[in-house]
Amino acid sequence: MSGPRDSVAEVKAAMGVPDRSARTLDDARPGTGLLDPQELLRDSVLEIRGDGKAGGGLVLAFQTLAALALRDPELHVQEWPFFSSARRGANIRSFLRMSRRPIEVACEVTRPAIALLMDESAGRSVDFAQGVPKGGTFVLNTRRGPEECARHYRLTGRVLTVPGDDIGTRHLKHAIGNVSAYVAMARAIGGFERGEMVESFLAMLAKRRIPPGLIEANRAALEASDAAIQSGTFHEAGPEDHAATPFAGYGQLPPGAQTALRLSRDNRTADYARSGFRLRFEDPATACTGCAHCVTNCPEGIIHFRPDAERGLLVTGVDVSSYCKLCGECIAVCPEHLFKEMPFQDVWEESEVTT
Amino acid sequence: MTTATAPSHPLPHTTTPAGERYDGVIDLERVKAAHRPLYTARESFTADGNTAAALATLQMWRALIFAGFPITPSTKWIETVAAKVAAQGGHRRVKLLEAEHAVADYLVGAAAACRDLIFPTATSSVGLDHMTETTRSLGASGLGNVMIIDVYRATANFPLCIEGDPSDTLAHRDDGFIQICARGKQQIYDTVIQAPCLGMHPEILTPTMPGFYGIKDSHRSARLQVEPDAEIHAFQDGWIPPCTLPGLINGDTAMGNCVTSRHFQGFKLEQKRRMEQVFEWLPRIGDDFAQRFGRPGLAFYDEAGWPADGAVDIAVVSMGPDFGTFEALRQRYEATRRVRVAGIAMRLLTPFPREAVRRRLARARAVLVVNQAHHFGRGHLTLDVADALDALPGAPPLVPAFAGLGGADVSSATWEEMLDEARAVAAGVLPGAPRIYHEGAAL
Repeated sequence: MSGPRDSVAEVKAAMGVPDRSARTLDDARPGTGLLDPQELLRDSVLEIRGDGKAGGGLVLAFQTLAALALRDPELHVQEWPFFSSARRGANIRSFLRMSRRPIEVACEVTRPAIALLMDESAGRSVDFAQGVPKGGTFVLNTRRGPEECARHYRLTGRVLTVPGDDIGTRHLKHAIGNVSAYVAMARAIGGFERGEMVESFLAMLAKRRIPPGLIEANRAALEASDAAIQSGTFHEAGPEDHAATPFAGYGQLPPGAQTALRLSRDNRTADYARSGFRLRFEDPATACTGCAHCVTNCPEGIIHFRPDAERGLLVTGVDVSSYCKLCGECIAVCPEHLFKEMPFQDVWEESEVTT
Repeated sequence: MTTATAPSHPLPHTTTPAGERYDGVIDLERVKAAHRPLYTARESFTADGNTAAALATLQMWRALIFAGFPITPSTKWIETVAAKVAAQGGHRRVKLLEAEHAVADYLVGAAAACRDLIFPTATSSVGLDHMTETTRSLGASGLGNVMIIDVYRATANFPLCIEGDPSDTLAHRDDGFIQICARGKQQIYDTVIQAPCLGMHPEILTPTMPGFYGIKDSHRSARLQVEPDAEIHAFQDGWIPPCTLPGLINGDTAMGNCVTSRHFQGFKLEQKRRMEQVFEWLPRIGDDFAQRFGRPGLAFYDEAGWPADGAVDIAVVSMGPDFGTFEALRQRYEATRRVRVAGIAMRLLTPFPREAVRRRLARARAVLVVNQAHHFGRGHLTLDVADALDALPGAPPLVPAFAGLGGADVSSATWEEMLDEARAVAAGVLPGAPRIYHEGAAL
């Protein structure tokens, strides 16, 4: 996968779309070096990708953008999410394609012209800007300004920021940034009137039978979001920044072991754990019977044990540092009740192993 | 393809082979009159695949009872149906049952009692597996008024995976259902409308299993055009004639009868004969649909890039939405590699349209078969294509490949890698063992 030296022609080629304009990136918006979403939409396919956390409203934001786009009867859209088999709080992705031509391509978007980071904590696990060509557009739901974000994430292109969680907290009593992200994304795409942008979102809420009072609160949030968007153009990416990682295969898969079947070691499934709690193994009286039910049922393979002459094996601890998602399997199967879900106030202690 | 006009039927007055009438059991005129339309005019909006399938079933006046049990990724079908039925009020009912097996059993009883009504449900993966004991009976039952919408999901083989590949539906190829694959919102909607016309045809009387890819299509939104309920009713009423009661063959059904070997063989012969009638009637129903609604109707497969003489270097056989990525890159691949490439995306999976596939692939120099379901051999599709080409002298070599297992993305790079292997075979290299492809790499 190429890095920031991409041209419009390469982007279109990667999408399987003939590049009729055959212009280089730097011609896309003469004098700006920016990819023009409206030009992509007109001449080929505008591809958009968003990263966020399950339960954060990313899917609704993309669905609403799709509905907004389809108010134009000549536009085609394709919108879908990618989930893993994980619960609220897990990383998710959403994809959106828009074009004035029928869209045939069905694979995931790997070269988005616009990338959204809906939740900055999602950005710890994935590079939300990966594959975005030089001159693309980056939208972030954050308190930080565009310049700070461009430096922090090393972005080259147009950067839009909006403090969506704060606006959500103020108007919707909930730190949910999808309303603001929707507005910022619509602004990034361009071509939408403010009124239809607002009404399309509210219509989607009405379709979901959201109470009228909450719909009006969303209207206020939409208006506030529009006023809070900041933007700028920056050149912070190095030559190798945001290049795609080549696929390196699945490695060695031990029979019956689920641990190696994780999407990757980078997927810290501990991030999915219920907030404020963690798993604890306590066996001061060495009550472990050696039944090994916890070992065989743990989907993450994080339970430590050693051979024991009498019991067969003896559980010695559990590594909760990276992959314990508090599924509760060990708690449910242990006949001696040696596993517990414990509340805690602080952040995860990296590499902690309780023994 | 022949041009078809649906036969004209009055609304049925059900009669047994012995002449007994069941007019008093269900008054179909009243059922139809009680239907509350969802749409009175053609409309266009965004919808995902589950919603498209749900709307199509809700628009049928013959669908009164919606039995179901939720399972990812088909859950939104029953959610949408339940929400609409609750909002509309009236005579329709949603039956949320305790498990998929119960759903299948419920369909049997209801469909057998009300042969002129349609009984749809939706399920996925292990949900379909849970139904298996009953689906095997249903397949032989003659209850063409049962429609199980299968939202494809990988889990006919563990480990659990919620993503969509057709492992589940292809593991159920011999249950006795007519299996039709749809891709894209519009095709899903249109297929669900047409499926009962096929299943309830008096020459066929076989339950249907329209399906589409989980997540990749079930959760993907795009523009959907819906038709007015009245137009759908006119179309379906033209194809769905009165059903004789109570059974198919001398009054017998597959439900509960323990028969002799001789009878069993005769029954299976008859079941197979009815299944093969699909080849005759599916194109006619599809043509009639296309004439009425102006969109392609049911077909054995979708085509891309075929020249008039059918001569190509590489013919691709695949199914599902990932075929769209092939369509999008096909011309560029032809131009850069200087080869002729065309493809078909299978729609009719069971019965497999051998003759039509043979004719289509006859002049290819190599056939790339892209399987997306787990199989311990060359792949379900590969075996069907091999069977289709078996009688063809000088049949093109097959290049079996696997991609998209577990709903994995099938990128342009992956397609190009597979096509490159097929290109080598077309140039004379002997095909190797089936390979799994991912992210442009042969694993």
